[in-house]
Amino acid sequence: MKTRIFSLAGIAVLLALCIAAPQMLDAYSLGVALQLLSWIALTQSWVTFSGLTGYVSLGHAVFYGLGAYVMALLWQSAPLWEILLGSGFAGALLALVIGYPALRVSGPYFVILTLGLSEFFKYIVIAVEAGLESSGRLIFGAPDPETLYYIMLLLAVVATLLTWGLARSRWGAGLRAIREDETAAETLGVPVTFLKIAAFVISAFIPGVVGAVWVLRTTYFEPMQLFSPTTSFTIVTMAIIGGSDRAPGPIFGAAFIVLLSELLWARAPHVYLVILGVLLVSFVLFVPKGISGQLAWLMRRRRA
Amino acid sequence: MPDPLHVDLLRVDLLQAKNLCAGYGEMEILKTVDFSIREGSITAVIGSNGAGKTTLMRALSGLIATRSGAITFDGGVVSGLPAHERLEKGVALVPEGRLVFPDFTVHETLKVGAFSPRAHEGWKQRIEDMYALFPRLLQRKQSRAGSLSGGEQQMLALARGLMSRPKLLLLDEPSLGLAPMMADEVFRQLRTIRDSGITICLVEQNVQAALDIADYGYVMEDGHVKMHGPAAELLTMGSIRESYLGL
Repeated sequence: MKTRIFSLAGIAVLLALCIAAPQMLDAYSLGVALQLLSWIALTQSWVTFSGLTGYVSLGHAVFYGLGAYVMALLWQSAPLWEILLGSGFAGALLALVIGYPALRVSGPYFVILTLGLSEFFKYIVIAVEAGLESSGRLIFGAPDPETLYYIMLLLAVVATLLTWGLARSRWGAGLRAIREDETAAETLGVPVTFLKIAAFVISAFIPGVVGAVWVLRTTYFEPMQLFSPTTSFTIVTMAIIGGSDRAPGPIFGAAFIVLLSELLWARAPHVYLVILGVLLVSFVLFVPKGISGQLAWLMRRRRA
Repeated sequence: MPDPLHVDLLRVDLLQAKNLCAGYGEMEILKTVDFSIREGSITAVIGSNGAGKTTLMRALSGLIATRSGAITFDGGVVSGLPAHERLEKGVALVPEGRLVFPDFTVHETLKVGAFSPRAHEGWKQRIEDMYALFPRLLQRKQSRAGSLSGGEQQMLALARGLMSRPKLLLLDEPSLGLAPMMADEVFRQLRTIRDSGITICLVEQNVQAALDIADYGYVMEDGHVKMHGPAAELLTMGSIRESYLGL
């Protein structure tokens, strides 16, 4: 009970700080905060599907990129919030189309298939853009960074609540059962096919919106960059380091990586990726439940 | 000892399979199987490896599709339904090899066992009932399922299956890999479960133990039912004693 009050107070303080941040931070720091929030939203969405079901998607960049593309195409032809929702639905729809066939395979096959489909889609967009004789789209009159910050904050909060609520629900228990043993889950009445596809579709919605916000921030749409598989890899890295089974995981993971890259990119660009690689391997080997899992374990031990 | 004919008249078939065919990919494993399970009984299915026993369990529970033929359960045709809808009607399978959820605790496993809407009513009380039926599970309530012994895992799988409030419990090799004492305990519990009103159908390699607790038995060979009859009769038949009991 006591820990519960503490964590609720902690969350309230954190949220208040996030809301006040644009008034307190300079432009550069606000940019970092925006980035942090976007990674939290992306990783959190990934966890609602891959963390719970164990189906590791290496293709979430495609939803992000598609959302950005929808925004780049429709910007100024409709109200901002309509395009944002449209970007989200575009991501969700693509997940439905990809998910139905892709979720028939599991394990490494699913990983490779999602990565492949994501790359495939990237080159389709590149071909379409080349056909339209457009080699990148500039966005004029994008909203100011503060507005984008609040939209991103909302996305991060919604994504976190989604993971938190789903992980505690009956459906979340069903998704975890799929991760542990799909056949056994089926014998307990878990509608495995429906549940996997539903979770995949939900998990693709927010990345679509995040991509749309992000392209407004960079004010330039370039498919190679916005569909880059690096986005997918970073999401998985953050989930592994933070912990992929509960809502605090992506927050720790995203904060850790964003801060690390801020500290090291400028000072030691040559060793940054080396350090990241070493960290990733160490976490997989020694802290398989990530920072959040480790903290939960420490707290349980202290109480016992 | 009631007269077997009399029993036949009183009891009804809870499940019936007619001309059932099923298999995987190009392989046809079950070739027109006729099979029925009487309400309130323990039915044992025996046969050598590859006879189609596991496939029969999977086809009855809906894990694999029926190719032709029909399965009726409790008065309705279920052969076209997916597994979760059959469970909703009361057909539960405890799969071969137990398939526990390694990272779930015992308690979480029992909770998720009540996943189907049918199982919602009274699920908390049912968890307590499971702990009363399997006291070992109560001792290990907060242990990870993956850390349990083979016998404990089998009990957990049984309890998880019972959490769905089944009318018919299908068991695929419940004694597989268990020490003889553990296996005996599991078989004793099956009787208790049957006496509580749940119909049981089990597939077993341990022919003697299965026919000892069963009311009725089926012998399968190469995807067919080779013979069937009251378990006590099968136990005295020379061909069964020779082929399956090594006597």
